[in-house]
Amino acid sequence: MRVADYAVGARGDMLSTLGLGSCVAIVLYDADAAVGGLAHILLPDAALARDAGNPAKFPSTVVPLMLREMQARGARQSRVRARIAGGASMFANLIPKGGVNVGERNVAATRAALADAGIPLDAEDTGADHGRSVFFSLDSGSVEVRSLKRGTRVL
Amino acid sequence: MDDIRALKPNQLDALREVANIGAGHAATALSQMIGGTIMISVPRINVQALEDVSPMVASPEEPVAAVLLHMFGDLTGRTLLVFPRDSAIRLAEMMLRRPQGSSKELGELEQSAIKEAGNILSSAYMNALSDFMGMMLLPSPPSLAIDMSAAVLSSAYLQFTSDRDFVFCVESEFILQESEERLRGLFLLLPDPESLQAMLRAVRVS
Repeated sequence: MRVADYAVGARGDMLSTLGLGSCVAIVLYDADAAVGGLAHILLPDAALARDAGNPAKFPSTVVPLMLREMQARGARQSRVRARIAGGASMFANLIPKGGVNVGERNVAATRAALADAGIPLDAEDTGADHGRSVFFSLDSGSVEVRSLKRGTRVL
Repeated sequence: MDDIRALKPNQLDALREVANIGAGHAATALSQMIGGTIMISVPRINVQALEDVSPMVASPEEPVAAVLLHMFGDLTGRTLLVFPRDSAIRLAEMMLRRPQGSSKELGELEQSAIKEAGNILSSAYMNALSDFMGMMLLPSPPSLAIDMSAAVLSSAYLQFTSDRDFVFCVESEFILQESEERLRGLFLLLPDPESLQAMLRAVRVS
């Protein structure tokens, strides 16, 4: 899956997105229906972008969009739970004092978007200074987060 | 500059020429540092939506070593130097005057050598631009990241630019051809959108 994109899948599917830096991957899953979605957001909110035409760029717009598509495939909103990964700060020593940290802001905006939608956040692997890849198996519901520095972690 | 996509062909040519002068000086500095002939490619200008930026190395997960510096003064922006992991290790060996194959990983000493190489290359690049355009440009201390290429690049673009929709970068490739191996690196100039107009004014292209 590409940057600023999302996908919804069901039993038998594997969704993945590679090389997240300050971006955040959002995994939504209804375990009973085995229907889920994965989004790779780029920015905390549309105010930071001039071109707000792509809803998959921001957490506040992609979460409702994924939920609707998951419901169309049999998911029930009350059963959907979330896991997130990413939001690293690379080159952090070059960020001026008091400057915007895009990775941290992405994580905060993602948590807020999930809370707004009433989706509980079960687990996260966020922050620090390393890149991550996310592999989401719709069969088992397992979310693997791989990084070069820390190896693999299952959420 | 309101829209970096609106640059005209003669403006792109002028920016490419400026980058070529910078990369030429940086290549000279690098070849003196490691003792070998460095070739540089014709600079390429990329103007892309952030989500379309393609990985410049084989895959988004390929490990790279990247050195980022801020550029201050009459122009603002950043320079980013990217080496695939194997090239970074070889470069560190050459800088440290060690035999080939003596370094297996990017330890503390190797990392410091690569940071220094980034510093020297960026300074040479900025000095050449300063002279050519009659401007004052100063580099910040370097910052090094060793990680997946897509993570490093998207972070370098997203964190620091004022335009979070499009990436404007001038890319030059460095190649060191040794007997049987090829050391490869990419040098990216990432001027802030406001500085593009200043660069064009300095080289008298409207």
